[in-house]
Amino acid sequence: MKKKIVVIDDNANNLLLEKDILEFAGFEVFCAANAADGIAMVRKEKPDIIIMDVRLPDMPGTEAIEILRQDKETSEIPVVFVTASVMEKDIEEIAKIPNSGYMSKPINTRTFVEEISQFIK
Amino acid sequence: MLLKKSKKKSIDYSEGIINTVREPLVALDKNLRVLAVSRSFYNVFKVKPEETIGELIYDLGNKQWDIPKLRELLEDILPNHNPFDDYEVEHDFDTIGRRIMLLNARQIEEAVGKEQIILLAIEDITRRREVESGLNKIREELEVTKKSADEASEFAESIINTVREPLIALDQDLRVVSVSRSFYDFFKVKPEETVGELIYDLGNKQWDIPKLRELLETILPERTTFDDYEVEHDFATIGRRIMLLNARQIQQAYGKERIILLAIEDITKRSAVEDGLEKAHIELTELATELERVAQVKSEFLSNMSHELRTPLNSINGFSEVLYDETFGPLNEKQKQYVNNVLTSGKHLLSLINQILDMAKVEAGKMTLTLSSCEIPVLLNEISMLVADLVNKTKLQMVLEIDDDLPNIEADELKVKEVLYNLLSNAIKFNHEGGKVGIKAKQIGSEIEIVVWDTGIGIAPENMEKIFEGFFRVDTPYSRVTEGTGLGLPLSKKLVELHGGKLTVESKGLNKGSSVHFTLPIVSGGEK
Repeated sequence: MKKKIVVIDDNANNLLLEKDILEFAGFEVFCAANAADGIAMVRKEKPDIIIMDVRLPDMPGTEAIEILRQDKETSEIPVVFVTASVMEKDIEEIAKIPNSGYMSKPINTRTFVEEISQFIK
Repeated sequence: MLLKKSKKKSIDYSEGIINTVREPLVALDKNLRVLAVSRSFYNVFKVKPEETIGELIYDLGNKQWDIPKLRELLEDILPNHNPFDDYEVEHDFDTIGRRIMLLNARQIEEAVGKEQIILLAIEDITRRREVESGLNKIREELEVTKKSADEASEFAESIINTVREPLIALDQDLRVVSVSRSFYDFFKVKPEETVGELIYDLGNKQWDIPKLRELLETILPERTTFDDYEVEHDFATIGRRIMLLNARQIQQAYGKERIILLAIEDITKRSAVEDGLEKAHIELTELATELERVAQVKSEFLSNMSHELRTPLNSINGFSEVLYDETFGPLNEKQKQYVNNVLTSGKHLLSLINQILDMAKVEAGKMTLTLSSCEIPVLLNEISMLVADLVNKTKLQMVLEIDDDLPNIEADELKVKEVLYNLLSNAIKFNHEGGKVGIKAKQIGSEIEIVVWDTGIGIAPENMEKIFEGFFRVDTPYSRVTEGTGLGLPLSKKLVELHGGKLTVESKGLNKGSSVHFTLPIVSGGEK
């Protein structure tokens, strides 16, 4: 059975790039362009991993993950933050979140799938 | 009989006198036997009549009266000096204790007959003496006190005159008793216009200050001391002054009169300095806040800039990479070349963003090193491999001269690699076809010196300074030399300096090549 990934990014091009790469690698990919839709999508699909942007229009991606972590059904899902925020304080904030990874944009498309896969149990 | 009778009468008369006087009185015959005593004698000396009359005076009260000085008076002095007054005798009586007596003795002849009798009036002055000696003591003490009070007063006066601060002493009616010399000097008043005057009237009523009135008339009567009472006043003679008043209400040693001591400290200058300091402090704080805010704004700007540039760059680089890799189908040669150009430009843009962020971080003092033990020869070989393609493409020759036995150094490996990559890519970029690039490494004392050299276009002397400014691009006839951010060299210099090393550039001029020398301490002197 295909592994499920929910990708949340408000930039349509980036969302498409990640979706295409991951689908090409054989994942079942679900997309959302904001945190609220993303949370709903995760609750519905219960994916194996979440790829989360940080700067989202409705709330920070980190907050969306906090909400999901409080929900028993979704609390165990690993997350990789793929973000264009590269300042130390952003990275530190992400590092505090358990069961999470960090990847800066622009992504390396050649290693992307391998890096993401490391976080799937 | 008659004689006897008259004698009897005379004795009765004498006795009458004797008994009315308060003082103990004794009448003796010429043989010093007691003829009569006053009642008070019995009372004072606690003797009984039957043991007294007819007895030798010395035998009275069980011979208590055998007093050498009494014998002297009665037997030696009185026969020659009659009467004799205020003869002092001190004696310890068994019955009544130590007594000091003043004896007045009279040898008188009875009116009728030749027989002599001696009248002895005894005044017990023990108490009086005690009182007198007490009084004397008190007097002496008073004398001492007075002396010390005089001395204290003199001392106080001299204090008043020696203190630098203007000092003024007032009586209860607030009239000036005394002022210090400094008072005259400071307030430009004359002694003759000062002492005895009401304080408010001083200096042509310049001293009629409402706050001073408040202190002297309202506060002081209730508190007796008051410190650091600030008064600001515009004096006609000396201008606006801010004074700190310390007041004491004290009682003079003698007499009940209170005086008020007023010490006046002129804090006008101090106040001005304090005001200035406070203002400066506020300005500094504001400036610091503003600087902090500016730094914050700058940092936020850089963070946002980086984020906003990376977001489209993710698509540019990502899609072109996927295209170039022909993941979703093959490209023709031209398409592949074009998309590679897009990718190269995107990567260049990315390195520019990264270098700008690094520069900002170094300049903000926020760049930190992650130190580890680095093997320089290994590191240099890795880097030369990394640029090998570039070297070959431009038909350059690469020369490595690395000394044997180079010690490991304490450094941030990634940053040292970044420095070397920056310098080598410059050496390659700004070179002639068929030229040479090289790396030398050797130990000099406690440092490793690395030289990255080339036979390229060199640096004109006038540009030697400019190359360390950001975004500087040497004008060059070689059109292909367009890559580079212009930040590589300045950033490399900063990173070397962060390690505690130095970076210098040498060039003999245009087209004469150039060499960059930098040192790294073996044991890091840089920030950890």
